[in-house]
Amino acid sequence: MNLSRTSVMVALSVFAAVISPAPSRAEDTIKIGAPLSLSGKFVSYGAAAKRGVEMAVDIYGGKVGNKKIEILFRDTQSDPQVAVNSFTQLLSEEKVNFLIGPIATPMAMAGLPAWRRTRALWVVPGATTPLLEEEAGKEPMLFHTFPYGYYYHLALARSLREKLGPGKTVAIIYSDDAYGREHLPYAQKYFTQEGFKIVAEELVRAGATDLNPVLAKIRRVKPDLLLGLVQTTDGIQLTKQVYVQRLNIPYLVGTAYPQLKQWQDASGEAQEGWVGVTTYIPGLKAKADPKYPKLFMDSDVWKAEFTKRYNREPEFIDVGAYVSTCMLLIAIENAGAVDDKEKVAEELKKLDVHTMIGRGHFEPSLGGTLNQAFADVVVHQRVKGADAILYPKEFETADKFEQATYAK
Amino acid sequence: MASLIFQIVVDSLLLGGVYTLMAVGLSLAFGVTRIINFAHGDIVMYGAYAAFFAFVSLNIDPLLSLLFVAILGAIGGYLLFKLTLDRILDAPGINQVLLTFGLGLVLQNVAVILWTGDERSTTPSYAFDSWFLSDDIVVAKGRLIAFGLAVAFVVLLLAWLRWSELGRATRAVSQNRAAASLMGINVRAMYALSFGLSSSFGTATGAIMSFLLPITPFMGFPILVKAFAIIILGGLDSIVGTVIGAFLLATAETTIAYVVPQGIGWAEGVAFFLLVIVLIVRPTGILGTVGRDA
Repeated sequence: MNLSRTSVMVALSVFAAVISPAPSRAEDTIKIGAPLSLSGKFVSYGAAAKRGVEMAVDIYGGKVGNKKIEILFRDTQSDPQVAVNSFTQLLSEEKVNFLIGPIATPMAMAGLPAWRRTRALWVVPGATTPLLEEEAGKEPMLFHTFPYGYYYHLALARSLREKLGPGKTVAIIYSDDAYGREHLPYAQKYFTQEGFKIVAEELVRAGATDLNPVLAKIRRVKPDLLLGLVQTTDGIQLTKQVYVQRLNIPYLVGTAYPQLKQWQDASGEAQEGWVGVTTYIPGLKAKADPKYPKLFMDSDVWKAEFTKRYNREPEFIDVGAYVSTCMLLIAIENAGAVDDKEKVAEELKKLDVHTMIGRGHFEPSLGGTLNQAFADVVVHQRVKGADAILYPKEFETADKFEQATYAK
Repeated sequence: MASLIFQIVVDSLLLGGVYTLMAVGLSLAFGVTRIINFAHGDIVMYGAYAAFFAFVSLNIDPLLSLLFVAILGAIGGYLLFKLTLDRILDAPGINQVLLTFGLGLVLQNVAVILWTGDERSTTPSYAFDSWFLSDDIVVAKGRLIAFGLAVAFVVLLLAWLRWSELGRATRAVSQNRAAASLMGINVRAMYALSFGLSSSFGTATGAIMSFLLPITPFMGFPILVKAFAIIILGGLDSIVGTVIGAFLLATAETTIAYVVPQGIGWAEGVAFFLLVIVLIVRPTGILGTVGRDA
């Protein structure tokens, strides 16, 4: 049998058309853009957020109503310029009406101008430094689902004042990057408001090899508390060098880093006594939401489910991205599974759920963001290699702060 | 006042040791091959990861794994040279810059894929220990060990260069490539050897950094920048100049950090200002010869 090349090509084309899946029609799918740092220096944030988003979509069943959920992940590479491209591509080419992410403030700030061109419904489960709030907090389509940094300082100052009593002195170390500089005024405000006296404020360079000069200056003022407003890498360096220097400061206070396993592993014995803040910590006992128990489970059940999937304990970004995605999906479903940002925004504002990280309900933040959910902050302390929870009252597992090991 | 000066001296010496470790490998490779290895910081990073995994998986102290890590670094560096740089030795300098820069990016991204961006650190007991010389003056044991090793490395390297056959051949290639070739020295083999040695110093430095600095796939770039500044300050092709540059930079940074209010934020800027001044006054660096004949 003689077959011409053309007939073979035609037959192969027909065969390929038959076996290839039919492309999903745009109206059958709801696309959600997820610009996240999946490589580069913020990769740990982006990877955690991706896990949270994927788990939420999976547990939700992959559909809202009869429409398939398609998450379009884009890697910002932890680079602001690439973040701009990611936002532009998602909003202008893919024409998504919903965005979730990024986590790191610099990436969110980089994407802001591109976002302003379409003003898609934007869920941000991160960006703790209030730059985003200053620039876009009044935007009705921005839904911020992570406490801003000032909530950290409010909770820290309040819990430390409650348990240590009045008249204590604080020395603050802050990094020269956006994180340190943005946190400093809020730390000053809330610690002063609670009656602490700030006796030193020392700047450190982000990524500095040697912190001894700063620590030597702080040693001289003999504060009761040391507050370190730095990010994780500098947090490790600070923790180790404070320990090596035996500063004799009774209470050591960080921001988000003491909850991170990488900080704990890298800090070794120096982590003992450090106080930190978070939205979620293993051991937090939260009950399932009565209306959505399959999505917002008992925190222990959710933790077990997460650990089974990813073979690791969840961290705060995993949980934050999970609950934020679930809330967005519920709102889309409640709006009639439509790809309409206005209707979904209305539904999102109405939501009031009980999640593993507290009440999920949007209301104005202290600093003026119109739609802020999850302002509850947990204060914890590393004691004998585990976490003691000291604030808020309903989650307490310890009733007093321990002094740093060498200060006892 | 006396205790402040003494603390500045102590901290400068200890930081100078760390900086020497960061820069000496880069200086050796450049001195011989005249190629600036922009992947050097990433080679240090791989050494740190090797020491970290030896520590957590096999419970081997970084100071013990240092030897094996250095040998692995030497083999890796030699292979890297033979597979890549050897092929473009006669190409324009920009090709070599782009190649090593690209290699650095590849090494960094492979590290992210393999080990994620999480911060890590080895935690041997001496990394948390210190001696008090007085109430105010503290010597961190980990840094003192780094200082001691930096001194040992430099002495060994200088001894090797001065008294061994291969070391003398390396110096000959460094001083005059054409003449060394005419004397029967295999120039390319010397290049590969010095690149391997440079990588060996890099990975050994990484093993030491594993208990001094947080280990991440991105730790290499700041180390490269610092090392680059030091070898320019000291003289691109001089090991002794590199040591002087390291201690000069460390002293400038430490003094500014102690003496000037909020000085640690200024320290790096002032140190690099010092670099600019030295380059204006003496463009070859303190002890360098590169560019002198140009």
